[in-house]
Amino acid sequence: SIQAHKEEDNPQKTMEVNGLTPVPDSYDYDLIVIGGGSGGLAAAKEAAKYEKKVMVLDFVTPTPQGNSWGLGGTCVNVGCIPKKLMHQAALLGQALQDSRKFGWQFTEEVRHNWVTMTESVQNYIGSLNWGYRVSLRDKKVTYENAYGEFVGPHTIKTTNKKGVEKLYTAERFIIATGERPRYLGIPGDKEYCISSDDLFSLPYCPGRTLVVGASYVALECAGFLAGLGLDVTVMVRSILLRGFDQDMANRIGEYMKEHGVNFIREFVPTKVEQVEEGTPGKLKVMAKSTTGDQIIEGEYNTVLLAIGRDPCTRKIGLDKVGVNINERTGKIPVNDEEQTNVPYIYAVGDILQDKLELTPVAIQAGRLLVRRLYAGATTKCDYVNVPTTVFTPLEYGACGYSEETAVEKFGEENIEVYHSHFWPLEWTVPSRDNNKCYAKIICNIQDNERVIGFHVLGPNAGEVTQGFAAAIKCGLTKEQLDSTVGIHPVCAEV
Amino acid sequence: FVRTAQSCHGRPIFALFCGDKDAEGRSWCPDCVTAEPIVRKELHNLPDKSVFIYCLVGDRAYWKDPNNEFRRNLKLTGVPTLLKYGTPQKLVEEECFKAELVRMLFTED
Repeated sequence: SIQAHKEEDNPQKTMEVNGLTPVPDSYDYDLIVIGGGSGGLAAAKEAAKYEKKVMVLDFVTPTPQGNSWGLGGTCVNVGCIPKKLMHQAALLGQALQDSRKFGWQFTEEVRHNWVTMTESVQNYIGSLNWGYRVSLRDKKVTYENAYGEFVGPHTIKTTNKKGVEKLYTAERFIIATGERPRYLGIPGDKEYCISSDDLFSLPYCPGRTLVVGASYVALECAGFLAGLGLDVTVMVRSILLRGFDQDMANRIGEYMKEHGVNFIREFVPTKVEQVEEGTPGKLKVMAKSTTGDQIIEGEYNTVLLAIGRDPCTRKIGLDKVGVNINERTGKIPVNDEEQTNVPYIYAVGDILQDKLELTPVAIQAGRLLVRRLYAGATTKCDYVNVPTTVFTPLEYGACGYSEETAVEKFGEENIEVYHSHFWPLEWTVPSRDNNKCYAKIICNIQDNERVIGFHVLGPNAGEVTQGFAAAIKCGLTKEQLDSTVGIHPVCAEV
Repeated sequence: FVRTAQSCHGRPIFALFCGDKDAEGRSWCPDCVTAEPIVRKELHNLPDKSVFIYCLVGDRAYWKDPNNEFRRNLKLTGVPTLLKYGTPQKLVEEECFKAELVRMLFTED
């Protein structure tokens, strides 16, 4: 029956694919979504709205430390959500210190309990996992906690925890398998190091921590760990926050350094050994300079690897159905309708080549894709001017071009950068830094001084940036910005 | 409730919280009246060795009090609530009307 359904050759089927006549029950499902994360769930729920028969497959291959989690994908379980909550925990620690200057009196020393925080965070995540399952079941979307891989045209094999295999067919597929942390490939990395996949549910305080990497994951984690009172060192191979505006990246690094985070620049780890077992234990890390022969050693309770993430596209049978992937990166190239080179197979989320790796982007892409497939819509996902925020101790919000990219694209003489330091009113009384918060906009002189880049470094950067992203989408110009009266006293008025 | 739940430690515990019933056996909470038979019909799907606790939360006035023990200690936000004790898994109000969801709570991990 699998052979009989090659609808590309069947003109009647082509009509049905356009939704003009009902699709015959020749496939098990109208749509199978591989991956129950931000993109996958959004697409599945949207398809269910149009009464399509949908299945979602979600499976978490345990980490080298044996860790796993429930439905919802990276963002919910080991990404944005726990990260922001722990960042908030660190900010509250700072607020407690500040509060004394505002008149609050408490005699007890303030200490942080890692286990209390982690249990609360995991409990919340658990309620989200459950909420997604209720939502899928309620909308009649079939969910299987099983690993999906293609075995032939329109056919996938699912394997659950117990090794039970089943085959399913579908008219269309959406691949939304996301990514997992990369390891270094050095002795001791998988046995002794942890990644962000393990950090947010670690049942013991990580203690003195070495964070390897200079990505936003590395800096955000290093940031909140230090904010909770831990001794943190970040080992950076070359630059911070590759791909982000480098001036802003360096300011973030400076702030973190001045606030107790140690940086070891231009070194890479070569070996990790266990000195002592325990929760946490003691690890010895050997590292080599990238600019010479120098070798250094350090002892830490925990080593957190945050050197990058790789797409989960290599072991899902894409070769069996002919889906092209970038062999070097594992990413899937798609057209502007999220379609792979195989017409009935689509992809959304972090696995896409040359697209931003953000939850809201995946959700938007998933929803719009499904509306185009089943509701006759034509809107494509707009990947331009997507706002982002890095939740380092000093938060960084951005939308549009970095200064370097703007110069490269438009020429230095055609852009104008307006910038300013600012001192949040809330920081004045507790005497916090008065020259660290910073904002800049990059304007295109040739286009009415259109704002093409927005960058802000300061508290609540995410909240500040969201509104400006909408303005930029509407074509905000410097003049319009100048003529907008500020709200006082808030950081955003700068 | 908590004492009973603790005495069953080690076994899966499911609990249904409903408003008190009057002399005719009818609850002041209309959603509880709807949900109870649906939940009871799914009880045969409970896993082996599990415990099902049926708990009344008091009269309407007590339930409405934002400081009542159920809201404070068990974090209940509505009645009826059907939950798997010790996990974040629960169904609240109209969710309890759906046999499919009740069955999912009872039978899946």
